[in-house]
Amino acid sequence: MSLQSSFIQIFVSHIKREFLINFRSLVDVISIISFMILIVTLFVLGIGPFEEKLRLISNAIFWIGLILAIIPSLEKTLQRDYDNGWLDQAITSPTPMELILLSKSLAYWLIVIIPLLISLPLFIVLLNINLKLIPWLLISILVGGLSISLIGIIGSALTLGAKRGNILLPILIIPLIIPILIFGVGISEAVRINESPLGNLFLLIGFTLIYLVISPFISAFLIRIAISR
Amino acid sequence: MLYLKDVTINRGSKIVFYNWSAKIENSKVTIISGKNGVGKSTLLRAIAGMIPLEKGIVKNFNNEIFKDKIKWGKNLIYIDTKNGLSKDLTVLENLKTWSEMRGWKTSDDDLQKALDSLEMLNHKNLYISQCSEGLKKRAALSRLYLSLLFDVEFWLLDEPTNELDQKSIILFNKLIQRFLENKGTVLLACHKLKLFDFNYELLNLDLLKK
Repeated sequence: MSLQSSFIQIFVSHIKREFLINFRSLVDVISIISFMILIVTLFVLGIGPFEEKLRLISNAIFWIGLILAIIPSLEKTLQRDYDNGWLDQAITSPTPMELILLSKSLAYWLIVIIPLLISLPLFIVLLNINLKLIPWLLISILVGGLSISLIGIIGSALTLGAKRGNILLPILIIPLIIPILIFGVGISEAVRINESPLGNLFLLIGFTLIYLVISPFISAFLIRIAISR
Repeated sequence: MLYLKDVTINRGSKIVFYNWSAKIENSKVTIISGKNGVGKSTLLRAIAGMIPLEKGIVKNFNNEIFKDKIKWGKNLIYIDTKNGLSKDLTVLENLKTWSEMRGWKTSDDDLQKALDSLEMLNHKNLYISQCSEGLKKRAALSRLYLSLLFDVEFWLLDEPTNELDQKSIILFNKLIQRFLENKGTVLLACHKLKLFDFNYELLNLDLLKK
């Protein structure tokens, strides 16, 4: 009777749960992307009708817009499950907390990335992004987005139960995001001036792999502390 | 026998238990009672492994339970006043995702039966955000039925009967009796002792804690 599922099955089912929850409250998902559209639009309107200026900084605007749009939603990723006691259930279960957190950050990544990919044509038009840049931009968003969500889970775990966590969180995690911003923009810049972007890309992938390894352990440790309080 | 030996448990900077020992009989119900703030919930959370012991050990038949947290996790169900239900999911989805999270392969039939054990079948497609406190508690307690199908030895329940109506308390009693027949051990923090129609050991923290 008692059939135990493997870690992979638990992992997949937990991603499904996150999808179910997040796409039920679709407002959260839409707000991330609409906030990003707003930031980018404000920049573009602020620069005015100078194509030359825009071309120099369009990559930076895109990345800063993405980071600023993601940050407000990060706090909720764990806070919601902490408040309703789901994390208590997870920690008293035989499933390692690290596995649950890894699936949570991957689910969060997909939840942010899918609407972003859908609205990418809009950003390409708004920022007048060169067509030869698009494949590199896609790769850098996919890799960079994964690191941002892995870092975000750490920040979210760190501010669990803290008052004013929504202010504390950006202060804590933006320093960790800086390398992602530098190498993410670096990829697009290298392509723009006809150089090889591979150096920057490998560094970005390297950082992402480091975060992929350490993030679940750090955040699980932080959650244990938050729950023991 | 669950044996707590010389445990010291802190909650924040407050010492709740100091060099305290207790024995909890297996295959029985032990009701932890005591006045508010005496440390009923803290004790349950510590035994569940959520609050690390400052000092001392907890043994289950000579096995230190916190040595192998995965094995201990398999052995216990912990339900407290927070329930652990996601408000954006329905009653059925919450039960399903919970059992998947524990790595249990449950059939739809099992889930239906579990909900039926607390007469939640009519409410299975209700979102938790639409449920009353009593319904939420019943949705959380329906996990206990599922755990009967798997080898769970301990139920740690923190005030499970607070929001329940008369009918649900009878159903809850039935679940506990079934669990006792399976040689399960129940640790229950509660004030109202009149509600239960089974034999129980009483662990009165007011008297035992000095």
